This record gives sequence, C-alpha cells and structure tokens, in this order.
Amino acid sequence: MTSYGLRRRLAGWVFAGPATALLALFFAYPLGASLLQSLEGGFGNYARLAGDPSFLQSLVNAALILVVQVPIMIGLATVLAYTLNQSWLRFRATLRVAYFLPAVTTLVAYAVVFRVLLRTEGGAVNQVLGVEIDWLNDPAWARVALIASLTWRWAGYNAVILLAGLQAIGREQYEAAAIDGAGSLTTFRRVILPQLRPVVLFCSITSTIGTLQLFDEPLVLTGGGPGDATLTPILYLYQVGFKRFEFGYAAAIAWAVVALIGALSWVQFRYFGKERS
Amino acid sequence: MRRIHALTLLALATLTASCATGGTPAKPAPTIAASSPAKLTGSIEIWSWDVAAKALQRLAPEFEKAHPGVTVKVTDIGYDNAYDKITVGLKSGAGLPDLITLEDTVIPGYAENFPGGLVDLTPVAAKYKADFDPAKWQASSTDKGLWALPWDSAPVGLYYRRDYFTKAGVDPESIATWQDLVQAGEKVKQATGKRLFVADLSTASGFTTLLQQLGQGYFVQGKVAVNSAAAIKALTLLKTLKDKDLLQNEKGWDGRVTATKEGKAATQPTAAWWSGTLTGEMPDLSGKFGVIPLPAFEPGGSRTSANGGSALSITAQTKNQDTAWAFAEWLLAGKERQVSMMRTEALFPAFLPALTDPYFDEPQPYFAGQKVNRLFADQVKAIPPVELTGDDKQAEEFLKKAVSACLLNGKDPKAVLDEAAKQIAAATERDLAS
Amino acid sequence: MRVFVWLFAALGALVSVVPFYWMIVAATHSSSELFSSPPPFLPGDDLWRNIVALEESVRFARVMATSVWTALVYTVLSALVSAMCGYGLAKYRFRGRGVLLAVVLATMMVPFQVLLVPLFQMMASVGWVDTYQSIIIPFLANSFGIFLMRQAFLDFPDELLESGRLDGAGDLRVFYRIVLPCVRPQLGALVIFTFMSQWNSFIWPLLMLNSEERYTVPVALNHLIGVSHVDYAGLMLGAFLATLPLMLVFLLFQRQFVAGLLGGAVKG
Repeated sequence: MTSYGLRRRLAGWVFAGPATALLALFFAYPLGASLLQSLEGGFGNYARLAGDPSFLQSLVNAALILVVQVPIMIGLATVLAYTLNQSWLRFRATLRVAYFLPAVTTLVAYAVVFRVLLRTEGGAVNQVLGVEIDWLNDPAWARVALIASLTWRWAGYNAVILLAGLQAIGREQYEAAAIDGAGSLTTFRRVILPQLRPVVLFCSITSTIGTLQLFDEPLVLTGGGPGDATLTPILYLYQVGFKRFEFGYAAAIAWAVVALIGALSWVQFRYFGKERS
Repeated sequence: MRRIHALTLLALATLTASCATGGTPAKPAPTIAASSPAKLTGSIEIWSWDVAAKALQRLAPEFEKAHPGVTVKVTDIGYDNAYDKITVGLKSGAGLPDLITLEDTVIPGYAENFPGGLVDLTPVAAKYKADFDPAKWQASSTDKGLWALPWDSAPVGLYYRRDYFTKAGVDPESIATWQDLVQAGEKVKQATGKRLFVADLSTASGFTTLLQQLGQGYFVQGKVAVNSAAAIKALTLLKTLKDKDLLQNEKGWDGRVTATKEGKAATQPTAAWWSGTLTGEMPDLSGKFGVIPLPAFEPGGSRTSANGGSALSITAQTKNQDTAWAFAEWLLAGKERQVSMMRTEALFPAFLPALTDPYFDEPQPYFAGQKVNRLFADQVKAIPPVELTGDDKQAEEFLKKAVSACLLNGKDPKAVLDEAAKQIAAATERDLAS
Repeated sequence: MRVFVWLFAALGALVSVVPFYWMIVAATHSSSELFSSPPPFLPGDDLWRNIVALEESVRFARVMATSVWTALVYTVLSALVSAMCGYGLAKYRFRGRGVLLAVVLATMMVPFQVLLVPLFQMMASVGWVDTYQSIIIPFLANSFGIFLMRQAFLDFPDELLESGRLDGAGDLRVFYRIVLPCVRPQLGALVIFTFMSQWNSFIWPLLMLNSEERYTVPVALNHLIGVSHVDYAGLMLGAFLATLPLMLVFLLFQRQFVAGLLGGAVKG
C-alpha cells in the first residue's frame, strides 16, 4: 500500500503540476505585491475602509445583489436547465442557443442595447410596461435595472453549466424514479437536486465571487450611480486605484473583498458541499 | 495543517514581492535639456486617439520628410480606457511610448501622483507661454513644472435652435445673462414644448463648466473651495433650471446625441467640438442651429468656459527626448500645423496666432452661414484659467453625488456643497477655503 | 403542465433573444438612424456599408483572425491544464493538495484589477509587452476551469479508475483513455467557457498590445468610441460578428452535452 500510495501522490502532482507551476510563476508575485501595497503604512488602509461610506455602501449593494439576484438567477437557471433536459421538449437545441446568447453578447453592445431599452421617454421597457420610470437615475429603479440586466445576461450561462451536470445523471435514475411513480416535480426534488449538488455549489460559489467582483455591468450601465446606489466594491476599487491613484488603498479594498469572498465560500462549502470523494 | 501551509505560501509570495523591484519609480522629475542637437535622429512613438490620432498619422510623414533619419510611429490606442493603459504604464514605470496625448483634466493628476513620470518642459517651452490659450497653459502646469504642450482648445458657447427661438419670438442676440436665458427658456418651452438644454444630472460636468466660467476650480490655492459663493451660484443656477423643468435629463453620450437629434432641447451650452458632432450625426438638421456666446452670470461677466481639449506630454520613459520635443514643438507651437488640423480634423487651436487665419472667418453653411468659428476663436483668449490639482478627479466623484442629490432629489445647493467640501477635505487631507 | 413548461421556455427564449435581435438590427442601420425615436426595430439596408466601414476603420478581418487563433491556442492549452489539475485535485490525496485548492480558489477571488500593475511589470521586465504570448500564457491556469473540473471529477466512480489500473494502465493513460471520455459534457462546458473568457478578454490585451496588427476584437472595437463621436453602427456590427465564432464553438461543443446522456451510463 505504501509504495502504491506514494506513486499516487506523485501522480497527483503530475496532474496538478503544470497548473501549479503557472500559478506560482504568474500569480505569486502580483498577489504578494498587492498584499504588500495594501500594507504600506501599516494597517491604516484597512482601518480607513471601516469608516469609508462609499465602501460600506458598495458592500450593502453587493449584499443586496447576493441576497436577491443570485438566488433568482440560480433558481431560474436550474429550472431552465431542467426544462432543456426534458426529452419530450422540441427545439431544445434552438432554445439552448437562445438562452446562451445573452452571455456571449459583447459588453459594449450590452451597454448600448440596455441604455436604449431603458430610456425614460420612448424606451421599449417603459412602453411595454406602460410607465415612465427613470430607470438609471432613480436609486431604487437603478438597482432593479442592474439586477434585471445581470439576470438577463447570466441566467442562461449558469443554465448551461447546470445542464451539463444534469446530463451527467444517468437515464436509469430518471427511469427508476418514474417506475416508482414519482411525478416530475418529485423526481426533480428527490433525485435530481441531490445529484446536482456539486454543480449547484459550483454555480453559487462562482456567482458569489461574480457578485462581489461585479464590475463590467454597473460600469457601463450606471457608472455606480446615482450617488452610490449601484456602486460595487470592485467598481469602487477601480475608481480609487485608476481614477484617484491611491493604489495602496485600492489593494486594501481588494484584499478585504477576498476575505469576504473566502468567508462566504467557506460557508457555502460547509452547508452545500458534503462532498464524497 | 492546511492553514500552516497556506501561511507559508503567503509569506513566500510576500517575500518574493518585497525582493523584486517594483512600485512607483521614485526618481525626481526629469527636466528636458535646453540645448538641442543640430541634427535629429532616431524613432519616436506617440499614443493618441480619435481625430487627434488621425491628425498625427496625416502629419507625421511631413516631419519625417523634413528630418531624414527620423521615424514617427503613431499608435491609436482608442479613447475609451486609454487612461487605464497610461496609468498602468506610469505606475509600473514601463511600456509607455515617447509622447502621449492627455486631456487637460488629467494632466495635474498624473503630474502630481506620478512624480518622475512626465518630463518637465519648462526650459524649452516657457518661451511660448504668451502664444497659448492661458487656461490651457495653466491646465498643463503645476507649481513644479510644465507637463504638456497645449494642443486644442475647447471654448464653450451656447448652441441654439433657430426655429424654436423664432417660433417663441425670442431674439437670441438679446440674451446676455443666464437670467435672460432662463426667461427665454420658459418662453420657448411654452411655445414649442421643448426644454432648454440636455444635461446628464448624474455627472458634475455641467456644474464644473459653470464654475470655470466664474473663474474657479474645485480648489483655490490648494484649499477645498467647492462650497464657495461661486460654486453655490453655479449649482443654484442648475437647480433653478431643474425646478422650472427646463433641463432634459439624458444619460451619457448616446443620450445627449439622441435627444439633440430628436430636437428635444432648444439650446446646448457646450464646446466648439460639438459642431463636429452636429454635422456628423445629424446632417439633416443643417441650417437649424446657431451659436451665441455663453450667457454671463452678471452683466459684463465672462461669456465662455472650457470643456475638454488635450495636450501632448513627453514621458520620462523616452530614450529620445530631443526628437520627441522637436516633434511636439513642430506640431503645436506653430501656425501652419495648428491651422491644418483645424481645417482637416476640426481640432480648435490652443496656439493663439493660428486663430487669425482667414479660415475662421468662413461662413458655415450648416449654421445658416454664421461664422461660428470666428465666434469661438474670439473666446479662446477669454477662457478663465482655473486651478487644477491632482485631487480634482477625487473631488469630482464627491461632487457627482452632491450635484445629483441637489438636482435629482431636490436637496439645497449650499447644504450638499458644504457636505461635499467636508468629504473632499477629509479624503484629500486638505483644508477648507472658507 | 407541459403547456406551462413550453410557455416558460418560449418566454425565456424571447426575453433572451430580443436585445440580441436589436443588436443585429442596429448593425444594419447608420449610426444616426439609431438615434431616432422610437429606435428602428426592423433591419435597415446599411449592412454592407457598415461592413466596409468597419473593415476600413479597424481592419476587422485581420482582427478577427488574430482573436480566433489566439483564443484557440489558449483554449486547447488551458482546457488541458485545467482538466488535469482538476482531476489531480479531485482524485489524488497528495501533500499540498489543500493548499493548492486554496490557492486556486484564492486566485479566483482576488479582483483582477489589483493584479494588473504588478503583472504588467513582470511582463515588461521579460520583454513581453506587445507580444501574443503575453495574452495567452499568464492565464493558462484558469482557476475557474480548474474548479469546474474538480467538481466534475469528484463524482467520478473510483471503481472505474481501479479497474483501469488493474488492467495495467498508467495514471496518465487511465486519465486519457477512461476518464476524459466519460466527462465529455463537462469538458464541453469547459471548452466553451475557456474560449469565451479569452474571446471577451478586454483589459489585459488592451494593456499589453500596442501594435494595431496584433489587436484582438474587443481592443479593436474600443477604437470606435471617440471623444466626440461614437460609431454605434460599427460597434453593433462588430459585436454581432464577434459573437459568431463564440456561437460556433457553442454549437460544436454543446453536442457533447447530449453525448453526455449516453456517457451517464458509466454511473452505477
């Protein structure tokens, strides 16, 4: 057992080696440099975070998206994936492509299209809803617009990942459930969801990271405004580092965000991922 | 066990980082040598964007022809995100070309935050001071030196719709003060249903332009002055316009262009480059626009301001300072190229002698034959110079919030500006002017 | 029940497609037409003119070619590295595994923006500024891909590995012959997402590339946004054309999801 065990250890490094080497080569220095930079002048940068209203507001905004947008999106994605996995549904391939389209839309196009759709006067969204909402200038509605457009862009993407997970579940398991007389909802809950757990965990962790690192969409849609209503931690980091040139403070924001993401991911691992390996 | 490993790794990474050389280059700002060699050699590269890049690409071969052995490479780095590229180059002390294009608003920020990143041009350029738009010259300088040679000016005037004014029976030439314009705006709105002008109320740019018209920047003698009497006057004017429902609120560049194209507004206070947007994006509106000088706050007060414009800087990373300066001087500190760039790329010269060129007196068919370039040219010298600092961008972030709180949420101008002043003072560690 | 599922599926598809449809419409109008109110909702007749203009302004054909080959090279190498690392993390107990997983997760968590300057310094010090390798090599170890593959391999039945080893196959052989074919759906997903991440990558290529002949699509399209003029028609057309290779990769590799249904048979 020992020699075999040793061989397996070495084999493990053979597989993980290339990635490890690349990470060490290209990320050890940048990670270390940014950490050091955040500590320029001791812990002052970190202390400043606690009293920075813009940073705190950006955390509140991220929390809001995390609590409202991520569950909506993952739920929607799961249902979409399940729908796409139904063998009786026709045009599945076409639908799959349709759902994936938003994720492949280039950022600039996404920005222009949504600005046109969300125009107050003559915008398609207001016309369809029969209202006159100033989507991007009202703090509350700007958040709604951001959440809706994020969901539009990323729900299909997550559905595709979930679909891959669904399809890895053997057909016999559906059949076994069907023989037991379970309806499709029961099958979904009892058979599918538990099997999907690792993939759901993957989606929710990446979505959590995606939320706390949210940058592109608020930048092009609202620029973080009005006020700080849609400011995200990374958008703030960008403003601090690249507009105000306070690189040490920006690095401190980055590492505070890392700590937050780490804590949240750990919690998700604990509660979601009773892993069998 | 795992935790210890993670810590070791982190320590290792930190060690690597601290050993490697990095961070901002701490060398003092290089100053250009005053004596230039008899013969220029070598190759230089310039980063630019948009029409400025086109102008460089057009004129660089002329320079190469005049100086055999010299090559000029022009790289169009695109305007959107150009500063991310420049910032990373300055911060890491690598990767920048010999010359870079910078807009006035970013020059002091780069000069102050990256000492040693740009070359001080004082020894060779000081002699040109009287020849340039004074506001531009001040924007390119800090108390430590001159960091760029001014390129194009952006004098602000008031574009207006001739047809709307005619319909409302208002003579645009009778408008001398903002008070006149507010009254005219109400009349025009009554007659045509159109608001006075387009503004993006979530930005501070309108406020900043008005503040410069009053001769002030965010800081006065290094102290925070965003709640000065002038600042309150500027924001109060915007609030009055908003309260009378005379502002057409549109988001971003596309919003402004769309609204103008649809004729939603009767006027637009903006810089001379707006002419290019009008002729390019809405040729069908030819003959409908006219321009008057910006209304003054008080009778006899300043009738213009600035909004935009750029300059050329030499980076400390250049290996060919002499050729870089010779090119900048050849391009900008002379009538010939400045006029040529006005004619071809509509870059409004910051070099004052160029403004006497007959080209400026040609009537513009798009503006119903009005000589709008003459009008703007006459304003260039009168643009109030204002103090710009390395903290302007940071101040702007706070002001954005103050302005939108006032205009969108109806807060009191003085209250929001007082609050912003306090925040800016705290964030920039500067004193309050008042 | 089925009717509702159908309705849901169709409504979802409509919502997904409408903004994309408008992008195509926008690509067939002139920029100034896009600013009319209401905006055009039917295709116009400026498509060819916009194509010619786009080719003229940013050399779009060459830019596309550059994007395609750099993204392909990146995808092949990165997918291999990620799949191997994910497999190692999921199926082997080796010293340092926990740390490696933590590092992988950490690189995923660190905001990319804060790494830009030090990474740029590294690239500049080895003379990689304005080279193709600078936009391909640093990000080959894609932590997102590694994590995706680790999660995929966690559920892989150990008995199958053991039986492969009993047949005398080495670890690498078992990996290529037995393991990879069984996770084709996830590999398909990995390829799609790896390609996407490289294809849409913007800030890093923008920082690294200085020569117009090396620009990738997002960097080139960035040039259509000027100070006082934005070429919206060109942007929309470029954005639309840029999605075509992505769609092609998606169509090619989504078959693997379907094949995955049969692959599921390996599970007991």
